[in-house]
Amino acid sequence: MVFLQLFVNGLQLGAIYALTAVGFSLIFGSTKIFHVAHGSAFAISGYIYWWLASKLAVPWPVATLAAVVAAAVFGLFMERFIYRPIQRHEASFFTVFIAAFGVSLVIQNLIGTVAGRGMETVTTPLSRSIEIMDGLFVAPIAAISIVVAIVVFWALNYFLSRTHIGIAMRALSENPDLVRVFGLDPGRVAQWAFVIGSAVVVPGAIFTAMTAGLNPAIGTHVMLVSLAATIVGGIGSVRGAACGGLLLGLAENLAYWKLDPQWSEAVTFIVLFAFIVFRPSGFFGSPTAAK
Amino acid sequence: MLKSRIAAAIIGTLMCFGAPGGASAQDTIKVGANLPMSGPNAELGEIFSRAASVAVKHINADKMLSKPLELAIEDSQATPQGGVVAMNKLVSVTKVPYVLSAYTAVSKAIAPIGDRAKVVSINGGAVGPDLAELGDYFWNVIPLVNFEAEVLIPFVVKEKGLKNIVLIFVDDPLGEAVQKVLRAEVPKAGGTLVGELQVQRATQQFASIAANVRQLKPDAIYIASFGTQVNQIIKQLRDNGVTQQLMSYSAMSTPSIAELPEAKGAWYTTQSADFTASALGQRVAKEYKDVSGKEANAYVANYYNAIMVFGILAQQLEKAGKPITGTNLLEQRRASPTFDLVGGKMTFQQNGTVSAPVQIREIDGTGTGKLVK
Repeated sequence: MVFLQLFVNGLQLGAIYALTAVGFSLIFGSTKIFHVAHGSAFAISGYIYWWLASKLAVPWPVATLAAVVAAAVFGLFMERFIYRPIQRHEASFFTVFIAAFGVSLVIQNLIGTVAGRGMETVTTPLSRSIEIMDGLFVAPIAAISIVVAIVVFWALNYFLSRTHIGIAMRALSENPDLVRVFGLDPGRVAQWAFVIGSAVVVPGAIFTAMTAGLNPAIGTHVMLVSLAATIVGGIGSVRGAACGGLLLGLAENLAYWKLDPQWSEAVTFIVLFAFIVFRPSGFFGSPTAAK
Repeated sequence: MLKSRIAAAIIGTLMCFGAPGGASAQDTIKVGANLPMSGPNAELGEIFSRAASVAVKHINADKMLSKPLELAIEDSQATPQGGVVAMNKLVSVTKVPYVLSAYTAVSKAIAPIGDRAKVVSINGGAVGPDLAELGDYFWNVIPLVNFEAEVLIPFVVKEKGLKNIVLIFVDDPLGEAVQKVLRAEVPKAGGTLVGELQVQRATQQFASIAANVRQLKPDAIYIASFGTQVNQIIKQLRDNGVTQQLMSYSAMSTPSIAELPEAKGAWYTTQSADFTASALGQRVAKEYKDVSGKEANAYVANYYNAIMVFGILAQQLEKAGKPITGTNLLEQRRASPTFDLVGGKMTFQQNGTVSAPVQIREIDGTGTGKLVK
């Protein structure tokens, strides 16, 4: 029963990790920009939802929509006013990284100043577990997280394979010049990648606000998870990031079955290390040879 | 034209940074604060720094010293590495004789730097018992956790009959210190420590810890962590079917835990800090509420007191015509170890610690909660 409990906890956490990681992977896969401020989109949308739903008692669909808009606007802002000017002058990886890192620190401090530096949670009966079998406690939010993750991945997959802009985003990741040849603007396509990649982080942010709570520094943890899931899943692969997030969530929780609790996070990085050594291309990445 | 602009820029830059030995350096007396101002522990850093700032304001308003007192705050991020960087800056660049400290791991990391430079570090938030052994230049204005556990554990085991206790503790000197204390105190009171679950500082998910706790079937759970991790543990234990009594040390006395619905009914120990008992206490509580919008708790008293200890000692040194250095502050504290502060008279022991009455409070959703014992 303990194993089943840990498995259920792992599925719930994995769904949240997958929802978090997939946006980062989509942005990196399409634009090759190491968007280290992705965690800030998570923090902003989580706090917007908390502020509207908990403080102002706004109905949850409105609060969710506002969180989506806030995350998308943040993504657009980053692309338009941070990354694009840098790329226009000098597209160095480290310049982009430091700029994004700086923005994430500013966001962290802004949130702390406006919302306080303590933990904030959205209180909801959905996060309260019910004993459905002897010793097995499951909260409604676990099922909701898993269902939402499936719906989001299906919708994202449909978008990337069936819509013009989705196909253009995939093309951008393969060959930006080809996108130009077909009369599309790579800058505009990159903007779409940032808008959608940032918006898909919102369900994970809301579920985290309801279960583990938010604090201004949460973006750092989110970024670590997103990066680990992206590497495990295969850099640039949306499907891989989803599987990577799920695997990391499961590994983190199943570690409790036989190991002491302090090992749970280490297990995440052991999984990551194993992939780097034995399968550097991840679940779904394409193997590349060093030139 | 260009030359004059360059000259103006150089002068402006020098004015901004303050030339060594310049007017700004001579016109104030500086003390340092090495506190967590960012990251998951920033809530406490904000409380500590606001309380210290109220004390600085009082010292300046009451003209206790010959020059205005200034607080130089550096961010330790509640990590030993961050604390060491901040301490080095305060000691070598800002050149302060006195530094506020917090967190057991940070305090242990910075104490040797203070000892070498003969700069006093004073702690008002960390409670690891080994903070009593960090040398002459490390002082504490907070009773350490062994004093808190000596009050709480007999109450829980003997008076409330909650004999089986699980400890959830952070992988940090504080957590390990509490583990050591509970291993001694729980059996002494007639109880059993049925489980010890160690968590990493960065851990944010505790649903599976809750599953472990349920398996152990304790009567009560002691949480030995700090910052937002305490909130996360409480919420996730309650969300995941753990209904037993929760308890902790003074780390539970933060405003965000007081407002957490899942924390209602939890017990925590803290030193007695009655702000209503004296005019000084009332003045501090009022001004703290004005700047923060929150009620003052024991941490506010501690960091206010820590700065006032400096103010009183520095005043005595100035009267005696001695320079305000770490060595002179230490000598003066040994010569006159009793201070009239928020919470009443406080006397430093030879090892730089203080003892104060410890109380047990219950979180009831209102400010610092209700007094249990």
